[in-house]
Amino acid sequence: MFASLLDAFSVWFAKTEAQFYLCFVADDRFTRYILSGLGATLKITFFALIIGITLGVVVALVRVTYDKNALSMRKGLGRRLLGIFNWLAKLFLTVFRGVPVVVQLLIWYFVILASARNGVNVAIVAFGINSAAYTAEIMRAGIMSVDAGQNEAGRSLGFNYMQTMRYIILPQAFKNVLPTLCNECIVLLKETAVAGYVAVTDLTKGAYIIQGRTFVAFMPLFAAALIYLAFVMLLSWLFGKLERRLRASDQR
Amino acid sequence: MKKLLIMVLMLAMVLAFAACAAEEPAAEGDTAAENDPADNVLVMATNAAFSPYEYYEGGEIVGIDAEIAGLIAEKLGMELEIMDIEFNSIIGAVQTGKADMAMAGMTVTEERLQSVNFSTSYATGVQVVIVKEGGRVASVDDMFELGDVIIGAQEATTGDLYCTWDIEDEGLGTVQRFNKGADAVQALLTDKVDCVVIDNEPAKSFVAANPDGGLSILDTEYALEEYAIAIAKENIELLAQVNIALEELIADGSVQAILDKYISAE
Amino acid sequence: MINVNDLHKSFGQLEVLKGVTEHIHPGEQVVIIGASGSGKSTFLRCLNLLEQPTAGHIYIEGEEITDPKHDVNKLRQKMGMVFQQFNLFPHYDTLGNIILAPMKLLKMPKAEAEELGMRLLEKVGLTDKVHVFPAQLSGGQKQRVAIARALAMNPKIMLFDEPTSALDPEMVGEVLKVMADLAAEGMTMVIVSHEMAFARDVAQRVWFMDGGVILEQGSPDEVFSHPKEQRTRDFLYRVNEKK
Repeated sequence: MFASLLDAFSVWFAKTEAQFYLCFVADDRFTRYILSGLGATLKITFFALIIGITLGVVVALVRVTYDKNALSMRKGLGRRLLGIFNWLAKLFLTVFRGVPVVVQLLIWYFVILASARNGVNVAIVAFGINSAAYTAEIMRAGIMSVDAGQNEAGRSLGFNYMQTMRYIILPQAFKNVLPTLCNECIVLLKETAVAGYVAVTDLTKGAYIIQGRTFVAFMPLFAAALIYLAFVMLLSWLFGKLERRLRASDQR
Repeated sequence: MKKLLIMVLMLAMVLAFAACAAEEPAAEGDTAAENDPADNVLVMATNAAFSPYEYYEGGEIVGIDAEIAGLIAEKLGMELEIMDIEFNSIIGAVQTGKADMAMAGMTVTEERLQSVNFSTSYATGVQVVIVKEGGRVASVDDMFELGDVIIGAQEATTGDLYCTWDIEDEGLGTVQRFNKGADAVQALLTDKVDCVVIDNEPAKSFVAANPDGGLSILDTEYALEEYAIAIAKENIELLAQVNIALEELIADGSVQAILDKYISAE
Repeated sequence: MINVNDLHKSFGQLEVLKGVTEHIHPGEQVVIIGASGSGKSTFLRCLNLLEQPTAGHIYIEGEEITDPKHDVNKLRQKMGMVFQQFNLFPHYDTLGNIILAPMKLLKMPKAEAEELGMRLLEKVGLTDKVHVFPAQLSGGQKQRVAIARALAMNPKIMLFDEPTSALDPEMVGEVLKVMADLAAEGMTMVIVSHEMAFARDVAQRVWFMDGGVILEQGSPDEVFSHPKEQRTRDFLYRVNEKK
């Protein structure tokens, strides 16, 4: 019984070893497809995240400013402009949260940025803008969660609206939404797995390419899965660390 | 960090054994079809976006591969079921017994033979180059001589394999790999790639589908390749049966008739 | 110093201020009392335009601040405000709360701002809490930091909106002492508060607000000991009853 189990195991091991060689060692495939794919995945995620947060904060500010101030503003150009921006922000949210990201990616690649040759850059734009739509709502919730007294305290010192946002409201809002932001970041990292649709060799596509070359069905996928998992865990850990640092001021 | 490492290792083991278990049905030679004789169905996996080998017509998957598979099933006294799945998932389907065989314009290579078995070849694939009027590439020689050429191909197809070996590995350019041949052609239309290397038959369809795109197929063939049916390595019995059936069909001219029907009909 | 002319403020259908006309002199300390809903906080908040008046005019040092062209941020820089709920910035420590506005608004160099911050912390008796975050301070300490923060912009007028109402009784004294010191220095102060003893000691004038107008006013002694209006008497009776 034990011997046959051992036999089965050694057969399995030899087979796995051969598959491993074929998938990752032969033809330098690990470096060419998995590592360079990981590089593309991380590059897309990182820059998309920057676009997402920057644009997301801007959209959130437009929405919050409109909701809080439009009714009390004097009628005139300023109020009308704010109304237009708010309408655009709502349209932005509707469109980019309403269309699957892979469809958006294809439209960016083949239609809007038809002349762009670099799929990675197109993916950065597509994922960044898609993420911005989600980040905007996260940041809006964060801004709303800051006590109204904070705004009054800032304004009463002589800070204008934007200064109050920048120095007083946004830092607190950011801290409040950090766990949700971490979640969005994880989602973004994994969503980039569809970048292969526009001929980007990302981590998932790298695994697919090895599959296609070797016809080994699952080992490349498991390799990709483990690497994604490791980076998601790393991200959660980093955000947790940042959160603890920002929460230092809450200790009683 | 230690806990993290242990978790990753445990997960790796679980996944590895899951993979092992998933492959077990095939390992014992009982594929879906043979497992249950009452369920007398031959499942053929393909990716039906490769006209004229496999494509949709009126909700049905038709084409050269579909018809040949139908004849093979008839010879084996089985009912054919076609499974349309992403190209990358075809081999997984065959290895886990979800499909009995795969026909998708697949090229036989040394490395693939380590993972699956291939039948006798049933068709010759001609790889051609699609170029755009006024583009950088105007001949097959250009691809090798221009430097930094960008070639579009459908991921894991013969065109992708050959261009990777001939051009990318030699540092003469890069291959952009798309999920579908149509996407590669779309990329050529928007100047994202300099040319597309793909099977001659779908190439004709793509050029015909974009009459205003300035696309043309180079006269020089890029490569010739034999297409074959992929069957799980452990499923030797089915491989033998399919080979017998296929050789009979080639001998009596049925295969040629199907090829003529689809290719001359263009 | 502060001239208020027929000030009205409505929230929708509800008229909270129904015409307030008053003058506050430089160096004067005015304590405003009144039941909740009488309009006293709204009046105070109109003075630095945290509430936009519906009608009427406010002049500060001769400038009409209710004029739409007037720079509201410049105005607020010379008027400090202290809130019932302190509203300290939780993400800055004590010193950070104080030096934020001078550094960002007056472009004061950090070293200079910190020196100013330390002086103000000394003034409110909190030199041992320089790098403590608000969450770790008691209510009284928080309010003293809030006063120091308002003073950092070197304001000419200080507005206090029920500064001791959210405090535990044993902490009221420390805050009132800081306020009394300020008054002694001659700061112009407008204070919404129910601290009678404090008003007697510090204020030149007491206003009793009721129903959106100043119903009665005079020296603390006049208002507290010899109120002319029945409603003032009722109010004072209720407040004293509670104590």
